[in-house]
Amino acid sequence: MTLHIKNGIVVDPKNGIAGEKMDIFIKDGKIVEESEVGKECKTIDVSGKLVVAGGVDLHAHIAGGKINTGRAMRPEEMRFVRRKSNGLRAAVGRTLLTSPAIGYEYAKMGYTTAIEPATPSIYVIHTHEELDSIPIIDKATLPLFGNWHPVFKYAADKDVEKMKSFVAWVLERTKGYGVKLVNPGGVEAWMYGGNVSGLDDTIPGFGVTPREVITTLIAAVEELKLPHSVHLHCNNLGVPGNYETTMETIKLAKKFRNDNRQVLHVTHVQFNAYTGSSWRDMGSGAEEIAKLVNSMNNVTIDMGQPIFGHATTMTADSPFQFELHKLVKAKWCNKDVELETGAGIVPLVYRPKSPVNAVQWATGLELGLLVDADKIAVSTDYPNGGPFTAYPYIVTLLMSRKFREEEMKKAHQYIEKATALPSIDKERSIEEVIQMTRVTPARVLGMENKGHLGVGADGDVVVYDIDPLNYDSSDYQAILKALENPLYTIKGGEIVVKNGDVVGEVWGRTFWVDASEQTTTEIIEADLDEYFNYYTVKRCNYGVEEGWLHNPVRITAG
Amino acid sequence: MIRPKVDFEVNVEAEITPELATKPIEEIKQFKVYYGNHLVSLDELFEVEKNGSEEVLVLEGDFSRVKWVGVGMQSGEIIVKGDIGAHCGAFMKDGRIIIEGNADDWLGAEMEGGEIVVKGSAGNCVACPYWGDLEGMKGGKITIEGNAGNYIGEKMCGGEIEIKGNAGDFIGTEMKDGRIIIHGNCGYVGGDMKGGEILIGGSFELVPAFVKTEDGFVGDVNVSGQGKVKALK
Repeated sequence: MTLHIKNGIVVDPKNGIAGEKMDIFIKDGKIVEESEVGKECKTIDVSGKLVVAGGVDLHAHIAGGKINTGRAMRPEEMRFVRRKSNGLRAAVGRTLLTSPAIGYEYAKMGYTTAIEPATPSIYVIHTHEELDSIPIIDKATLPLFGNWHPVFKYAADKDVEKMKSFVAWVLERTKGYGVKLVNPGGVEAWMYGGNVSGLDDTIPGFGVTPREVITTLIAAVEELKLPHSVHLHCNNLGVPGNYETTMETIKLAKKFRNDNRQVLHVTHVQFNAYTGSSWRDMGSGAEEIAKLVNSMNNVTIDMGQPIFGHATTMTADSPFQFELHKLVKAKWCNKDVELETGAGIVPLVYRPKSPVNAVQWATGLELGLLVDADKIAVSTDYPNGGPFTAYPYIVTLLMSRKFREEEMKKAHQYIEKATALPSIDKERSIEEVIQMTRVTPARVLGMENKGHLGVGADGDVVVYDIDPLNYDSSDYQAILKALENPLYTIKGGEIVVKNGDVVGEVWGRTFWVDASEQTTTEIIEADLDEYFNYYTVKRCNYGVEEGWLHNPVRITAG
Repeated sequence: MIRPKVDFEVNVEAEITPELATKPIEEIKQFKVYYGNHLVSLDELFEVEKNGSEEVLVLEGDFSRVKWVGVGMQSGEIIVKGDIGAHCGAFMKDGRIIIEGNADDWLGAEMEGGEIVVKGSAGNCVACPYWGDLEGMKGGKITIEGNAGNYIGEKMCGGEIEIKGNAGDFIGTEMKDGRIIIHGNCGYVGGDMKGGEILIGGSFELVPAFVKTEDGFVGDVNVSGQGKVKALK
């Protein structure tokens, strides 16, 4: 199918197009030159409307063990009907959406790609089955490495060669896209009732520190030339005073160099950007973190913006989840995943009148406003900060000072003392928010065909009912309405959303990275055999074959 | 006035509220309800009569298999001359429901306001939250002249429940606020109670995690609760 999107006003920061009247052509799922399109082309006229690439979410827990356990744990979530079937599938869920709801809701706000950022490798078959049941969007998953016994062992030995082999072996077995770390060392310590407090605590049983785990893995990922860098959830998440650990962690990237992309992506930084020594005097460390990130060219971050209202926190950071459960006294579920990792789940409500929640909300926005647009991506760390369906709300907050003022009036006034948000007058331009929701996340992930509209890019195009050359940032209602209801969402050349409603269902792809050409698994064969003596799964049954995936795309590293 | 035409073989799900009574008779008759898994019009199952235009629904006959009557109602009155099925008055915000017979389970579940009076007895889970939710009844009043079953006022956050007869086990479990008055006897009371008040006229069993004070008991200490369980004077 070929498609001609006519007379739109294109904003495509990657290709230097900042509001030009242009036509876009899509053929066979790719963006092409006009000359390649024949006569049997469908034309849609979008005169004067904003035309951009499909959104890319680089961090949303959309599939796998945690979200599924969360769904079982919270039957009350399923009372929220988002969409009756109307010929497609029914979609329910307030903060824990069902798989069809995830695909539809992303498409409904103009997103066409989302990455599941935390999969225990032993559960990866299930993760892929769930990813495959999410319609429309393209996806990928990042296996968890930060608390895995072989990783500790190779980091303790400073053996980058073996670490490379292990990473390549895991990516092949899991059909994973990159390397995710969650509270490196902390989850292992939790198995003995503890945690690590910073980069230099010793991980029990292995004589190695989080600092060594992180740097050895960065070295391995860089040598393997993976498209995506190490994706890190820092130590000390959700603890007042943790911004110091975060800054120290970000500085670890200074030792490494990559001309094409960052060497470290630090995720949901809002949860790692607090000053103070207790919940009574906590404040925002966002300004200092923003200064540091802006001064470096090999680190990127995403926001982890909390949204006032219901959320369900779920992370592989089990010690933190236990503390949260004690703090908010909500129901709790813990998961220990053999030698690999762990997880915890706790429902949460972010209340605007709670000083702590208000500071969290303001801290995320400070980061979103102060960090350079090419170094930060929009995220809620779904469903930890709230549903991803709030992205239009977040983007509107970034674009409109007036909207922020209105929302700040609802929040606890402690934010005036503890954060810099009330004094920030900055309003993000359309180019900047398109950068933060498309270009930056695509570049962070190393997805060359995502996030832009150049020839050869994926045919994922969104049309919003807003004129980028002539809009009023104080009329935030109009901006929010436009972002929540795209005129069109086009996925791979197919129209899937029209006037804010899903009209078609296509099947997305699952990307995975094959790094086997960069290394050999021979050097870790004996280690793997030894390792599987302590596992409930035999080595020959471990992982998932490519044929099991619905629509896999193999990307060769290097 | 609504009256069943037949004895129902399966449950009916009828989300009727007093607002319906103000509509033209034809619209009332065409109101859709579920009979088992069939979507049917109200007048296929019930005789429907319209007297006046007040916001009052009168249900006459055996409604014990009719569920969700008065769900989320915001005003007006429902009078049930007979028994009523499960989930009656769930999510109710205001108005009044008077049940002259007995009520089934989930009476006034997650109710926010208004009043429910049961002349007979009620089933289990009166004023409860639906499974998984953190907040049960938040406001309003439920009066039960007869007895009530187990799990009364679980996770209750406000409002009042008065039971003139006896009640079962697990009263006020995880209760946060509000008041439960039981004139008769009941079983276990106050597990994981965080706040609110339970007043009991007859005998009761207290979970062990309560501290005796001058005028009753305070607990549940396991959750640092400040709930009060007292004898009804």
